[in-house]
Amino acid sequence: MSMATMLQLLGSGMGKTAAIFFLTLLFSLPLGLFFSFGRMAKNGLIRGVSKFYISVMRGTPLMLQLIVVYFAPYYVFGIRIAPWYRFVAVILSFVLNYAAYFAEIYRSGIESIPRGQYEAAQVLGYSRVQTFVKIILPQVIKRILPPVTNEMITLVKDTSLAFVLTEVEMFTAAKQIAAKETSIMPLMIAGLFYYIFNLAVAVIMEQVEKRLNYYR
Amino acid sequence: MMKKVLALLLAAVMVLGLTACSSGEEAEESTAAAQTTAAQEETEAAAETAAGETAEGGETAAAQEGERTTFTVGFDAEFPPYGFMDEDGEYVGFDLDLAAEVCARQGWELVKQPINWDTKDMELSSGAIDCIWNGFTMNGREEEYTWTVPYVDNSQVFVVAEGSGMETKADLAGKVVGVQADSSALAALEDEENQENLDLAASFASLNQFADYNTAFMELEAGSIEALAMDIGVANYQISQRGGGYEILGGNDPEQYLATEQYAVGFLLGNDALKDTVEATLMEMVEDGTFMEIAEKYADYGLVEAVCLGK
Repeated sequence: MSMATMLQLLGSGMGKTAAIFFLTLLFSLPLGLFFSFGRMAKNGLIRGVSKFYISVMRGTPLMLQLIVVYFAPYYVFGIRIAPWYRFVAVILSFVLNYAAYFAEIYRSGIESIPRGQYEAAQVLGYSRVQTFVKIILPQVIKRILPPVTNEMITLVKDTSLAFVLTEVEMFTAAKQIAAKETSIMPLMIAGLFYYIFNLAVAVIMEQVEKRLNYYR
Repeated sequence: MMKKVLALLLAAVMVLGLTACSSGEEAEESTAAAQTTAAQEETEAAAETAAGETAEGGETAAAQEGERTTFTVGFDAEFPPYGFMDEDGEYVGFDLDLAAEVCARQGWELVKQPINWDTKDMELSSGAIDCIWNGFTMNGREEEYTWTVPYVDNSQVFVVAEGSGMETKADLAGKVVGVQADSSALAALEDEENQENLDLAASFASLNQFADYNTAFMELEAGSIEALAMDIGVANYQISQRGGGYEILGGNDPEQYLATEQYAVGFLLGNDALKDTVEATLMEMVEDGTFMEIAEKYADYGLVEAVCLGK
């Protein structure tokens, strides 16, 4: 196999990796906020359910969750698995898993805002939603950026777990090329690609942090 | 860019924030008693679905036969020469070429679905793939799948580094041996009815299971594994691709092989209709010589000698 073909194959794997990365962020960031509200709810049942969800998602391997999500429709509901479901299952597993981590990150951010700010907003006539969206959330986003960046970088590397469902992202592609070439080189190149991807994530998030630092 | 991300986040937050508030208030009104009943009902419903699904697998598979347009073959894309990636990144191999020819004759569209070997049974029974066609050993699994006639005679051998001094199976005593997880080599070593192989496995220092052959050969090269048990076809491919440095234990002496067995195409148990169609087409290909032509494409890896049809 020529170097050009290898790079092209790894490149298309990289496209799939990026798709998993962006789709996961797109859905898990809002879903995480939803679960963080659940985790902080006054109602004991909602709080308990959210707590249990987070505990299961953080407490079991993502690799196992991928297998469960992919095969559950058949083994639990008896629905035969269609070809398009493979990619959907990958995204679904990553979203469900990362939402649990993001929920706790949001909670740490939201709970770090002093009680007095809510009282002040109430005195000024802000509604609950206005208080949250206009006063609390902007501060929360600034505070949680470093841990969110951490999770994003972990996510880039975790996309490689999609190989258990043989969704051909970069790592699966690298493994298949390595098997064909009987060489470790494709894996090394994939490693370099992951590093470049993460470097870009780190640089962009650093810029975002700087931009949001408007009170200093 | 930043503004867009923020706007998106805010929009999402507003929607979710509103729903979270309203659902919170409603839920507060429900009583503890109602919650318990709901939970019980859910458990019962789940139990019923679980019981119902077991019987359905075979029927649905048979029902689909009428309007078949695609044929999905599950294979391990890291298993040359039976299924692997070629120079251009396409999936090829002896088995996939055979499957392609069967599809061409039946007017089906071939879907080559790489699978994780560890979850192959789940892929098959859930209907994600129609068959496993990838150097799939039938011996010891006769009752678990619906099989075509065997088309390759295969042996399980041990691969050792050249000049390791090991010449017979007895030399493997006290060595670290590797074997692919869920492979037929592993099955041969764990065969309860074969005392000789059980004793052999017991004589190893340890038996390590690996996921793919490339990693296993890297370990063999690095010295952390001293012998690898695998199919002879795969062994020949690996040794020729790596330009030597390895040898099959005992060379051509079948006495030093772990086991001999046969490859066939495995279908979901009870899916005879599809099996019969594929088998009939395969036999047609044997009759008119296409089968041997395909085998000759892979002559370098010893396939011409290994096939047991069309001779």
